[in-house]
Amino acid sequence: MERFITEANLQQFAATLAGKKHVLAPVASGGTTCFRRLVPGMRLDFSRMAVISPKDATFPRNETLLLVQRYVEESGKKLELKEQLPEGECIVIGSRPCGARGKLIFDPVYETEAIKDPYYLRRRDNTLFITLSCDRPESTCFCHSVGSNPADGTGSDVLLTAVEGGFFARAITPKGEELLADALFEEAGTRAEEAAAKQTKARELMGQAHDFSSAAAKLLERFDDMGFWQAQSNKCISCGACTYMCPTCYCFNITDDEAGLVSRRLRSWDNCMSHTFTLEGSGHNPRGTKAHRLKNRVGHKFSYYPDLHASQIACCGCGRCIKQCPAGVDIRQVVMAAQEYVDER
Amino acid sequence: MSQLEELKAAIRGHLDSLDCVIGWEQGYDPLHATPLFIRNESDLERLSISPLAVHNPATYATGFAGKKIGMVVRGCHSRSIIELLNEKLIERENVVLFGLCCDGVVSQRKIRTALPADPGFVEAVEIGDDALHITLAGEKTTIKLQDVLADKCRICAYPDPLLADVLIGNKHDSRPEETLACQEAFEAKPNAEKFTFWQDTMSRCIRCYACRNVCPMCVCQDYCIAASRDPLWMSQENSPAENFMFQMIHVSHLTGRCTECGECERACPVDIPLMLLRRYMNKQVQEVFGHQAGTSLDKTPPLLTFQVEEARIKERDW
Amino acid sequence: MSANPYLPDMATVVEVIEETPNIKSFRLVLNDDDKMKTFTFQPGQVGQLSVFGAGESTFVINSSPTRMDYLQFSVMRVGEVTTRLHQLKPGDQIGVRAPLGKPFPVENMKGKNVLFIGGGIGMAPLRTLFTYMLDNRSDFKDITLLYGARTPVDLTYQEELPEWLGREDINTVLCVDNEYPGWEHKVGLIPNILLEMNPSPENTVAITCGPPIMIKFTLQALKKLGFEDEQIITTLEKRMKCGVGICGRCNIGTKYVCQDGPVFTYAQLKQLPSEL
Repeated sequence: MERFITEANLQQFAATLAGKKHVLAPVASGGTTCFRRLVPGMRLDFSRMAVISPKDATFPRNETLLLVQRYVEESGKKLELKEQLPEGECIVIGSRPCGARGKLIFDPVYETEAIKDPYYLRRRDNTLFITLSCDRPESTCFCHSVGSNPADGTGSDVLLTAVEGGFFARAITPKGEELLADALFEEAGTRAEEAAAKQTKARELMGQAHDFSSAAAKLLERFDDMGFWQAQSNKCISCGACTYMCPTCYCFNITDDEAGLVSRRLRSWDNCMSHTFTLEGSGHNPRGTKAHRLKNRVGHKFSYYPDLHASQIACCGCGRCIKQCPAGVDIRQVVMAAQEYVDER
Repeated sequence: MSQLEELKAAIRGHLDSLDCVIGWEQGYDPLHATPLFIRNESDLERLSISPLAVHNPATYATGFAGKKIGMVVRGCHSRSIIELLNEKLIERENVVLFGLCCDGVVSQRKIRTALPADPGFVEAVEIGDDALHITLAGEKTTIKLQDVLADKCRICAYPDPLLADVLIGNKHDSRPEETLACQEAFEAKPNAEKFTFWQDTMSRCIRCYACRNVCPMCVCQDYCIAASRDPLWMSQENSPAENFMFQMIHVSHLTGRCTECGECERACPVDIPLMLLRRYMNKQVQEVFGHQAGTSLDKTPPLLTFQVEEARIKERDW
Repeated sequence: MSANPYLPDMATVVEVIEETPNIKSFRLVLNDDDKMKTFTFQPGQVGQLSVFGAGESTFVINSSPTRMDYLQFSVMRVGEVTTRLHQLKPGDQIGVRAPLGKPFPVENMKGKNVLFIGGGIGMAPLRTLFTYMLDNRSDFKDITLLYGARTPVDLTYQEELPEWLGREDINTVLCVDNEYPGWEHKVGLIPNILLEMNPSPENTVAITCGPPIMIKFTLQALKKLGFEDEQIITTLEKRMKCGVGICGRCNIGTKYVCQDGPVFTYAQLKQLPSEL
């Protein structure tokens, strides 16, 4: 199904949806554009890629897994566990193709034959993505090098492309078709061609893709070369900006909070660049330095994950980790350095 | 000889005796710089000292404990080094400072908001005396440097390094602006408005701790109270209250130690104006203890020492 | 385990044994009778114990599946969760997620000689397999246990040691690092005692667990004795959270210790990137 919508009507469409459902959309405030829950008075900002990815929709920065109520009775102490599964639907409007596609990296990990993560699965199955294709890729963009492109509809329900006067909208899933049935969408007319031309131009702007296919093996070759990793991690400050911005980073922490007779088991985003991530009770830390940690972060995305999951690189090329890194660490350069490494001995 | 060439020559003379010299080079595009760890001549060739070169090399100083390194420092960076020396976190004989008399650096946030949308591919950047000429998709956009100067530079009282082994450039004699309008305006707001502001702003915080890890004075890092379970001061919950609590702990730990390099605010991926808190705290420290961190050697931060009677706290009159 | 892999089963502490000054063993029974009756696991699998409000930690189930009156876990007091565990008394409630991980390859050991080498708390994962073998004694040939600790009071499972020492169908050797008044067994470091014992690698499987430094030198000793990498089995410790291969911290390259381990042969370990 192909439709057209003016920008004013898209704002209206989003506002109406937000009245009924949980809508996450890029909103500008305080000089930055982030995905926020849309409430009356907010306008969608299509001019910039949101700093934080839309990951919050399917993998919120924190969620309660369990609540535990304690009772003290004459017969003794009792505990009652309450599972806290997420309820309700969510619609993400204005994600970019990289962010919508990035969440697919979760699937083979969060849903296996043996283990199904009910929190993630519920959110994933109850979230729709209305995605905006990119017409001005940036210096940090490299979706084309990880098997995608600036108009990739994978992982989305509707793909929008900016055209004269508004957006050309293409339904990708049956649920997307339902969304486009709204009266605010008009006949697409000849705009499909205009959109296709824009998409082609955006892809051309990105230039030649880099071939990461040798990365999995080359990164492993460098595993014991700590000199290499120290050099690569020189400027890294070991913070979590890269992982928390990343649409594909899926690692988490589980911690308990306690207040009176109630305790709560919380799952929160965790960061493999943090010292405590792998710190063991004995004090031993298998990834004790930032060099070890960067090695794991890059290795996970470009080597271990692809080895386990059909050569799929666990990176969607959105470039947030490069753009937002306080020290300018460029994951592309790290991987390329491993790919191009020549042993001079 | 240009300042850059002068600096390169100075660094070249020291390279053999140092583990590395920390400076800057072009980052992922011509509009962004990144720290450079110079170990040889080819590294040195890439050195850049443009106003885009913003990172504080002092952030890395404690990570080189026991090694001898060089750092290219601007005025504010030299204050961080002095403070690290004063707190005995680094050793003077282990650092060689290549000082740059600094005319200020840019704020990437200001450049970003000066452009109408994400810039796309940045093809070239020319840096004139008072403007940045940015070429985007074949078209040149000009932004006045004054308009995108970092806030810290507008009010910087120490543009020239306070400690340096080599000094490059001409010393300044002009006085900076006395106050920062955004700071004044914020402090003048009623508490209820400030509360609403922080509620909203802290909801953006993702607790990535870039502000902490980039801070040259935050040296607990791996053992930070933010992740500690014993003592348990903070939940891992991401809420404005918890996020603000972390910032309160952060600013408290920097009392009398913050050198206003502005790295926390620069590093914040979601642009939380953390310097509002830092500047306010620093003003209190200045008023109560007459202390300004990193401005003179051999001064201990007021909360790291104890005096029976503080000169400006008239406890007896309470 | 429940359909929600994060949802613990509730259990009651039925007995607490003070093993050493900083190690306690907890015997647990699942509150749901049917679940307890149908609970199955294999030696070497682990479980996550929850003290609600403090958190969860991973411990090996060190009772044997042949003795299902209770599930036993031995806990050394090192941090927040283990400190709270040490405060538990019989009757207290606790959460259990088990079994997790892969067990010892018991089937491959049938008809072979088995050599156990345990150090300190590292005896816990060995105890489950050792007890299992005692209960299926005829399936295995010679069984030898070398168990050491720093001092006599650091030896766990003191209640069982007399039985192990007394049985004629097994060879039990105990050792401590230094001489102590009244100590009648071996004195010396485990790898040295092992060399002294000089076990034959012929048709033998060696299973070792203990502190990293002990494992390192025990592996060297086993190699010196002629054991092949495939004949040596160990079980690893890592910081874990989810226990089901998702949360991303216990991996060594592509292998997740919580899912693919914690039991590995030395041959398998050598295949992994070096990040222990």
